[in-house]
Amino acid sequence: MDPLWNNIFRKKLDEDSLAHFLKHLPIFLELSSRALTMLENVVHIRNYNANETVFEENDPGSGMYMIRSGMVKIYARDQNGTEHELATLSPGDFFGETTLTAPAPRSASARTMENTELVGLFRADILELAEKHPAVSSSILLGLTRVVSERLQAASLEIRRLQNQAGGHISPENVET
Amino acid sequence: MSNLSQNQRGWTRARVATAFLVLTAAIACGLSIYSSASSLTGLSRTGFSVLFLPLLLSLVLAFLLDPPVTQLEKFFSRTGSIFIVYVLSLGLAFLAALWLTPHWQGFWDNMGTDFPRYTTRVIESVQNVVAALHDRFPVIESYNFPMKIRSWAEQLMAAMLAETPQSALKVGGLMIIVPLFTFFFLRDGRKIIRACVALSPNRYFEMVRDLSYLISRQLSHFVRGRILEALIVGMVITVGLSFTDIRYAPLLGIFAGVTNLIPYIGPIIGMVPGILIAFVDLGVSGQFWWIVILYILIAQVLIDNFILIPILISRVSNLHPLLVFFAIIVGGKLYGIIGMIIGVPIVSVIKITLLEVRTYRRTFRLPESALESDRPH
Repeated sequence: MDPLWNNIFRKKLDEDSLAHFLKHLPIFLELSSRALTMLENVVHIRNYNANETVFEENDPGSGMYMIRSGMVKIYARDQNGTEHELATLSPGDFFGETTLTAPAPRSASARTMENTELVGLFRADILELAEKHPAVSSSILLGLTRVVSERLQAASLEIRRLQNQAGGHISPENVET
Repeated sequence: MSNLSQNQRGWTRARVATAFLVLTAAIACGLSIYSSASSLTGLSRTGFSVLFLPLLLSLVLAFLLDPPVTQLEKFFSRTGSIFIVYVLSLGLAFLAALWLTPHWQGFWDNMGTDFPRYTTRVIESVQNVVAALHDRFPVIESYNFPMKIRSWAEQLMAAMLAETPQSALKVGGLMIIVPLFTFFFLRDGRKIIRACVALSPNRYFEMVRDLSYLISRQLSHFVRGRILEALIVGMVITVGLSFTDIRYAPLLGIFAGVTNLIPYIGPIIGMVPGILIAFVDLGVSGQFWWIVILYILIAQVLIDNFILIPILISRVSNLHPLLVFFAIIVGGKLYGIIGMIIGVPIVSVIKITLLEVRTYRRTFRLPESALESDRPH
């Protein structure tokens, strides 16, 4: 076939498409292709420069970000204002998912380390989607719940391990989850 | 010090002349920029005033039609659902027009004879009252109340006759433009909002997205609530009036419904023609009192204040009466009668927006304040 025609009629490269990116995130693994198309229409693509703040600790949090390209540093500040790095996230990772359903201040700050493309999904989008397509939004929320519960379980296992390690120095009442 | 004296010595005639020229040129430039800017704002104001009413009406219609479209969207595409809703509402509007046309025609035919009759009758009763008052307060002789009322009524009649063809033309134009605008607002409204939100800088994007959602939700509740309230009050009055022998019951009901959109003052304006016509045609009889009770007690106190306002209108959008008066006066000055009707909703919209921003700021600290308090002292 003529390469010119080939180019026109072929769809956008599958690996480049937003749907492809979303489909491979653990949250959206089980979404149908119809749900993915709808998700594609409600997420926001934002481009950040290097060293740009995504959000600060205590900012009003209303959604999650997924990293499509670039790197993001998650950090917390202590009372003296010194930054303590909590994690470095790379493409395919996501953060801020705990504030997607419950409005809460951000528990840590996030800053880009290089030019970064983030895909944002916010509570307002989910609520709007829930009005029109309840089934789709519930499958998205189910995926989110699954990931959050997995993380919660891992965290509680980690707490128990640390408790055992400390040999009963920390009583269960003092552990904040 | 030496620097200063050098500068002082430097003020030669040539320099003074240059400074003078530069200053003059600067002032001239400033003036020309100012005048061109004001003509630009004038142009944009003219353009905006043409678009203002159709845009506003289409936005209101879009808010009204959005819930049924969203419901239908579960089964059809967005555009398809909009078309279905359009066909249904066109059918409804056609039925309403069929039902209303004979009344409207009768009203228009009798207007020429009825209007002077009503004014004469009102003037007669005012004359009686004035005569009675005159016995007690001789001062008021100098004021010629009946003549004033007569001239005012004639002016009103002349204005109505002159305005009707003009407004018919306007309405004809609106009937084409408004459905078109509404269609696009319904179909692309979310995309338009998304595009506007996407313009905000990264740092504030999340907050702007959240606020835009909260504000648009409050606004749609408010607009829908107000329109539903007016519709129900208008229907109650139409039904109530149709029990009596009063003429033009549907028109009076529609008038009462439309004026009900203005808080505090609207219902009073809405009941004036009905009570006036009842007074002249039916006299002070049982039916007259029924009409008065219908307007004040049933429609306003019972239906509106006790049932509709608590259910439909959130307390968020309640305005102080003084603010309502301001909005009506300014709206009337800017856009006439339509301005009076839409002035109050616009002020409510501004209030809702401000309140949403404030609640948001209270729930969370804004990024700037959070940054400031986090900064080491």
